[in-house]
Amino acid sequence: MVRGSSQSQSSSSSSTSRPGLVAPRGSAAATAGTRRRRLGGGGGGGGAGANSVGGGAASNMLRFYTEDAPGYKIGPNVVLVMCLCFIGFVTALHVFGKLYRSRSAGEA
Amino acid sequence: MGGGFRVLHLVRPFLAFLPEVQSADRKVPFREKVIYTVISLFIFLVCSQLPLYGIHSTTGADPFYWMRVILASNRGTVMELGITPIVTSGLVMQLLAGSKIIEVDNNVREDRALLNGAQKLLGILIAIGEAVAYVCSGMYGSVAQLGVGNAILIILQLFFAGIIVICLDELLQKGYGLGSGISLFIATNICENIIWKAFSPTTINSGRGAEFEGAVIALFHLLITRTDKVRALREAFYRQNLPNVTNLLATVLIFLIVIYFQGFRVVLPVRSKNARGQQGSYPIKLFYTSNMPIILQSALVSNLYFISQLLYRRYSGNFLVNLLGKWKESEYSGGQYVPVGGLAYYITAPSSLADMAANPFHALFYLVFMLSACALFSKTWIEVSGSSARDVAKQLKEQQMVMPGHRESNLQKELNRYIPTAAAFGGMCIGALTVLADFMGAIGSGTGILLAVTIIYQYFETFEKERASELGFFGF
Repeated sequence: MVRGSSQSQSSSSSSTSRPGLVAPRGSAAATAGTRRRRLGGGGGGGGAGANSVGGGAASNMLRFYTEDAPGYKIGPNVVLVMCLCFIGFVTALHVFGKLYRSRSAGEA
Repeated sequence: MGGGFRVLHLVRPFLAFLPEVQSADRKVPFREKVIYTVISLFIFLVCSQLPLYGIHSTTGADPFYWMRVILASNRGTVMELGITPIVTSGLVMQLLAGSKIIEVDNNVREDRALLNGAQKLLGILIAIGEAVAYVCSGMYGSVAQLGVGNAILIILQLFFAGIIVICLDELLQKGYGLGSGISLFIATNICENIIWKAFSPTTINSGRGAEFEGAVIALFHLLITRTDKVRALREAFYRQNLPNVTNLLATVLIFLIVIYFQGFRVVLPVRSKNARGQQGSYPIKLFYTSNMPIILQSALVSNLYFISQLLYRRYSGNFLVNLLGKWKESEYSGGQYVPVGGLAYYITAPSSLADMAANPFHALFYLVFMLSACALFSKTWIEVSGSSARDVAKQLKEQQMVMPGHRESNLQKELNRYIPTAAAFGGMCIGALTVLADFMGAIGSGTGILLAVTIIYQYFETFEKERASELGFFGF
């Protein structure tokens, strides 16, 4: 665990892609952590992308789509709504299927 | 200009149609991350219970029986494909890029974007391909039985499910959630499996009266109803056809062992060049590549099973096909094909200790295969994923970090002493633990448990890190 002076720590952890450094604890170190976050968020690749490569823990979390790629941009809430719509659609299919089948069975 | 370069550029026209989750442009608070993660998980769980519309039957042999747990898929539900498309496309692309078949310059932004796009496109294509293959091969009843309309509907449902999994995974990775979607889904599926096997309240009649499926429930049920308590205990601990208490204990033991081993690491001290007195440490874990070796190994094995089964059903007389694997219907889990000969048999875990004693060569071959495959895959993976000694040395250099007492040029050599060894040995340990879990009959396969534990451990680490940074955020 890193326990140096506050100044040195904040500069230590502010570099974006320190691969496996032990997460700093304590108040001073924690500010360093947030600063690193902010930097990470600002720098194109996104916070998660920052430690995607490199040793230690983060590298192997099966990360496949971390980079930004051109494409049809959608927001996070749109994704969730889309999923719910899909679930609703399949459920509706089941319901209509049941209705249709019972009606055709009734007519026959 | 190699031919591979143009291969990557082929993707470009399709990029505009690929769904792409926006990166978080602000720092997403911890609480919000948890909410996003939980909602995604909820959607995934609903999808893996929601049956597909239009299927006729799901009985009959299930060629993907082996991979179900690992690939987070559920038979006959919308999540039939699970994360197969993503994992397959991801592995294929990473291996292609790692082996330089496709040339990717990781320093060029456009190349990385194209590679990502290619991965996603391949994932979607695989989803469509698999959906069509499932329907046409008559897994839900023959196409004539289903009707063309329903067949198309099923393919559409599977296709959209594939896209949804891709989007959810991307959503979690782009900074809105914790960890990665794939790991989350795998771990959930395995844990669900274990909990179900332990506490399932369904009864199964196997000739000796109704028995509970869940190991713990069965233990109490047997203890209460039987008059001979010792025999009841023995029954609960050693029953063969259903999950028993020994299996459960083995599972717990494996969990504990893996978590204990996760702490093993070599810590290299590093020091900044420009700021004096600033020190850090670079830990190299024993499980350097974590669960990647077993993921790769199971991907290899399941593909081999699939091909071998397919061939065996068509040309069972052929000598080469028999060499690859002979299959027979199992008497227990109805309709599953189990390998009884050939290569496929030897790379399958022996089903019990008795089986091991009866066939020691099988057990030995399996052990050697697992250990060497895991070690090899682990060593390959550090090269492919960019966590080899050279890459780490480059990263440290970019951050102006040096190891005290070593010259800068020595950094890679010093790292090289540890990283390949950690990778190979760690891979072997993971393989050995998998074998141990299989031999002890832990619930869910050994692979499954190892995956679950390593993923959960990683989640704990992420959680801690997030919390630490969050506390600082509010503290100031």
